[in-house]
Amino acid sequence: MTNNFDYDVLVIGAGPGGYHAAIRAAQLGLKTACVERGAVGGVCLNIGCIPTKALLHAAEMVHASHRAAEFGLTFADTNLNIAKLNGWKDGIVKKLTGGVSGLFKANKVTLLTGQASFVDDHTVSVDGKNYTAAHFIIATGSDPAKLPGLDVDQDSIVDSTGALVMPDPVPARMLCVGGGVIGFEFAQVYNNLGSKVKIIEFLPSVIPGADADAVKEFAKVMSKQGIEIVTQMKANRAEKKADGVHVELENVKTGEKTTEVFDRVLVAVGRRPRTDGLNAEKAGVTVTERGFIPADKQQRTNVPHIFSIGDVASNPMLAHKAMKEGLVAAEVIAGKPAEQDAVAIPGVVYTSPELAWVGLTEQEAKDKGYEVKTGVFPMSASGRAMTLQSTDGFVKMVVEKDTDLLLGVHIVAPHASDMLAEAGLALEMAATATDISLTIHAHPTLGESMLEAAEAAHKQAIHIVNR
Amino acid sequence: RNEGRVLAVPAARQAARELGLDLAAVRGSGPNGRIRVADVLAAAQGAEGG
Ligand SMILES: Cc1cc2nc3c(=O)[nH]c(=O)nc-3n(C[C@H](O)[C@H](O)[C@H](O)COP(=O)(O)OP(=O)(O)OC[C@H]3O[C@@H](n4cnc5c(N)ncnc54)[C@H](O)[C@@H]3O)c2cc1C
Repeated sequence: MTNNFDYDVLVIGAGPGGYHAAIRAAQLGLKTACVERGAVGGVCLNIGCIPTKALLHAAEMVHASHRAAEFGLTFADTNLNIAKLNGWKDGIVKKLTGGVSGLFKANKVTLLTGQASFVDDHTVSVDGKNYTAAHFIIATGSDPAKLPGLDVDQDSIVDSTGALVMPDPVPARMLCVGGGVIGFEFAQVYNNLGSKVKIIEFLPSVIPGADADAVKEFAKVMSKQGIEIVTQMKANRAEKKADGVHVELENVKTGEKTTEVFDRVLVAVGRRPRTDGLNAEKAGVTVTERGFIPADKQQRTNVPHIFSIGDVASNPMLAHKAMKEGLVAAEVIAGKPAEQDAVAIPGVVYTSPELAWVGLTEQEAKDKGYEVKTGVFPMSASGRAMTLQSTDGFVKMVVEKDTDLLLGVHIVAPHASDMLAEAGLALEMAATATDISLTIHAHPTLGESMLEAAEAAHKQAIHIVNR
Repeated sequence: RNEGRVLAVPAARQAARELGLDLAAVRGSGPNGRIRVADVLAAAQGAEGG
């Protein structure tokens, strides 16, 4: 491409966004380097998606071992070796991050280890050594947001990274500050492993952004499992004492203050874009007040040869969004007409059952001016769900009334994240509810709840009474 | 009625970008006017033919 620079493309950060961008750029014949100051794989592989899912699976197995008594399977003793659990989880992370390093080598992406900071708009220094490139892709990710008054020590007051190291013994009393995706995933892990868990959320509803009916059902199921959920509540300060962490809680509506004692407190109140030490201003790149480096549909920043992707670019802060944006940036640099044109980005809470959604919520659809109809199929009517001992939840479809166009799908069910793949494809293909109901789904599967929800939108589901 | 979304399958969106066509100007032959790759190619030929 350009000969007077060290690289055609230099990617900053090797998280999901960064490694996708680097590999695609190399596949397209560009001379590519990727700078990483920590471990390849970024947050998602090392301290995010992957280790949380490992813990959730293990915790679900413990939970399932108790439920098995229902069909006659009893264990003399359920004994969990915490050290082994932590080690198994770390082993998965190591295998996957090793995989990314291997892919870099195989694709001839040069990995530069160290902190990247811009010197000018075509140069970055990596721990003191300068590298030039024709294009840059900023993929520096995000960090946990802090809460004044609650100082994270990664021991008794933790953020998501500290919460991933399961202590032995498991804390008896656990507080999750923040009723978002991360808060709920950890709440269920700790709950299933024996902690008494309380979640507090500042807003009137947990999982803001998800469909109101789905959130209501989800919260009901989580409460049934023993997780205490309190909304419109905030944590003012935490103090470590001999008998535990004393947390001052305040009811947002009444102003009433109480102090409760916990053995572990998780602060999960959101994430902030990460631009520390990057010196983006030296390249003339705009950083917003909140720390984002915004980009257009081609992932270009205000400086045309510098791109921004993933958590540092925009919300929602999700790995699959970062991955897609990485591919777009690399393809645009290679001269292809790529664009972030997705109809919808799926969201998932990986608890059991999962809460998963893609497309518009019923309220969003109405706000956008659609006249909608909905179809709901409860998991209690699913034969497959019964055989899996998991009949809580439902599939809800939001459909445009006149055209039958599918607008959104909201699921509370086991493996909802996998069911979401069909829903996502349907949205991208501009499918109607009729297209889904005319598709033969294997029986018995959880996936056929999609078919029945589509039928329910037409008031002709078979396994429920249509009203 | 809606947010003014142009209904087109992903491959048709990509084809339109590659041909430099505005999707909003392509006539979709599918249900609800959904645009398929063939519609984009037809529109491109029409544009070339003047
Ligand atoms: C507990 C937890 C669970 C999650 N679970 C999920 C999930 O199940 N599904 C999902 O989609 N998302 C999940 N996420 C979110 C997901 O991890 C992020 O959206 C994703 O990692 C963002 O990718 P990224 O490439 O933008 O940045 P990151 O993964 O944050 O990677 C950025 C990388 O850049 C490096 N870096 C930063 N600055 C510099 C610099 N100046 N020089 C060199 N290197 C630098 C960092 O060290 C880091 O490795 C979870 C997050 C957390 C915290």
